[in-house]
Amino acid sequence: MTRPLFPTQEIGSLAKPRWQLLGQRSEALDESAKDELRSWDARVGFASEVPTVRDALLEGRPHDTSPDAVRDLGALFGLRFLETAGLDRVYDGEARRIEMYEYPIRQMRGFRFGGHVRSFDSKYYLKAAVVDEVQLDRPYHVDEFDFVKRHAHAEPKLPVTGPYTLADWSYNEYYLARQPGWKGRTARRAAQREFVVDLARRAIRPTLSALIEHGCRVIQIDEPAAGTHPDEASIVVDGFNAATEGLNAEFTMHICYSNYADLLPALLEAKRCRQWAWEFANRDSPGHDGYSVLKLLREYGDTREVGLGAVDVHRDQVEPPEAVAERIQRAASYLGDPSRIWVNPDCGLRTRSLPVARAKLESVVKGAAIARAELEDPRR
Amino acid sequence: MLVRTGLTGAFPRSETLVSATRDLDRGRTTYEAVEELFRRTEEEVAELEQRLGFSETTAGYLRWPDPFRPFAETWEGFTVGPLTRWLETNTFYRQPILLAPPGRTPGAIASRLPPPLVRSPGSARVLLPGPYTFASMLDNRSGETEPALIHRLGRLLGDEVRELRGHGFETFLFSEPQLVVHPPEGPRAEAVVAGYGAVDGALSGGTSIVWTYGADARPAFPLLDRLPVSVVGVDLSETEVDQIPEGPAPQGLGLGVVDPRTTLAEDPAEVARVVRAAQSRRHARSVWLGPGGPLDLLPWEPATRKLHVLPAVQRALSEGSS
Repeated sequence: MTRPLFPTQEIGSLAKPRWQLLGQRSEALDESAKDELRSWDARVGFASEVPTVRDALLEGRPHDTSPDAVRDLGALFGLRFLETAGLDRVYDGEARRIEMYEYPIRQMRGFRFGGHVRSFDSKYYLKAAVVDEVQLDRPYHVDEFDFVKRHAHAEPKLPVTGPYTLADWSYNEYYLARQPGWKGRTARRAAQREFVVDLARRAIRPTLSALIEHGCRVIQIDEPAAGTHPDEASIVVDGFNAATEGLNAEFTMHICYSNYADLLPALLEAKRCRQWAWEFANRDSPGHDGYSVLKLLREYGDTREVGLGAVDVHRDQVEPPEAVAERIQRAASYLGDPSRIWVNPDCGLRTRSLPVARAKLESVVKGAAIARAELEDPRR
Repeated sequence: MLVRTGLTGAFPRSETLVSATRDLDRGRTTYEAVEELFRRTEEEVAELEQRLGFSETTAGYLRWPDPFRPFAETWEGFTVGPLTRWLETNTFYRQPILLAPPGRTPGAIASRLPPPLVRSPGSARVLLPGPYTFASMLDNRSGETEPALIHRLGRLLGDEVRELRGHGFETFLFSEPQLVVHPPEGPRAEAVVAGYGAVDGALSGGTSIVWTYGADARPAFPLLDRLPVSVVGVDLSETEVDQIPEGPAPQGLGLGVVDPRTTLAEDPAEVARVVRAAQSRRHARSVWLGPGGPLDLLPWEPATRKLHVLPAVQRALSEGSS
């Protein structure tokens, strides 16, 4: 496939529109939700592809459609939202997913949910304990991918939560209990490695394999937990290698809000990882170069692609395309090879409103175009 | 061997309390109903602590959103900042932002202590942030250097201890994960010693516990041994027992023997073996056992279940020494 210099891609989830949230609960849309549906339809063109669902929602007949049909429409919206922003690689904004931990774990056996843990203030999350050997019930995300593949005009890229993150966000009972003696640091580390690799082999790899059989060519392994225990970077790698062993697809690894230097060089042992998709813009400010860690990749002789986080997903302020272009150029100079750069937001844009998310994505696309043009014609 | 037991940080909220606080956020219940549930659950935690024979009660500190928030909301110079990751966990705190040199607000912290503690201050264990951890986890825009800030926070926490001593409180636990996660050196280390000196000056016969967790304590032992406090605790899930330095401990020996990172319950006999091994290296006057750190990294049920190991270990140790 021929791609332009500095191709662009999505990286994670979008906020769900209100019309989708109301519609999938079979609640009638209020006027503002109807306006939201109409205005985005006018802008990105999606609802007319499924007029029966659109009309049921807009005409106050939510029971004439189904929650699944509304989710389909939500996925179609996410897809067109990203495509019409101009991205080269897209997904559906993770329109059917609520979170990235509980759903995959519920597709497996060997886990037990034992209650809620406070994330902050009065926000909580369910955290499972692994109490037996991990077994996969059935590969997941496959139907979701099939839908995207059927409807996508641009190249689809599917995100999957990685084995290290699933393990880190669980309690390790089964594998820790098998360690002899005191369950101190050494035993815990050994048990975690065993858990991660088992999870990768028994659950993630069969899922990736099924997705590939269904035509998925680009898979992003999300490992947001990788940075929380830098001394376990080799376990992240063992999980990645076990999950992808013998599989033929383009694998990328997304990590965010981490001190990447602490993960290097251990992370470079991830054999089939073709691209590092990392967050950078959040840490880039006047007086602090958020991209300087890329110099380390060059020093280590790593020649993989970089998915360059070029807009910050934690601020409403939209970066001008010129600022995005400058970041791309800076990154290219550090890597010494512009052809290895993909451009994307730092992370999923779900915490931003849809208008802000869209503006940031458009800035990514325009910024990449400016950087491309300047590289091709440096006199500009 | 004199062995005491107790909580070393916040306890998780019960599933009923989780539902109620969620409902409150969504406007499905009243503030008064949730307050009543907080009150009942605090009593439940205090009763559990008493039933398990803990040397002091904490009542779980269920209302405190994080260890710093009551200070950030009430002390001068502070404002409440953004969500920030809590150490190497998937939980978060709101980072205090310090805009000017801090100042205490008398009575503010006392008014936020769990009611069961206020009713029986002599048997309470007051949980406070340690000055070093507090200083290193806030966003310091005050212009004060970090060593000066550590020392100042030590003095302010000393004033807090003095006020609480006046109310009859006797035991104070300072949570200090950063002492082992990022051990201080040079002027910062001296400021930590001076800060605890200020606390010591306010104790007037009370007990001060510094509890570390979150990393291997080995590199921090030279500093920990210098702290003028009654007890220093280390997390045995992070610090291998054979790496604890040998020689008489200048303070009581605190050992984190219940791992807050796993729901797997500890084996009392194995814990007793490790405690004996640690004590044989330190020969401390007293041994204080507890969870490695705050148990609110676990849900309510496994946290409650895991606490039962502490009296079982106490029994195993007393049987072994008789």
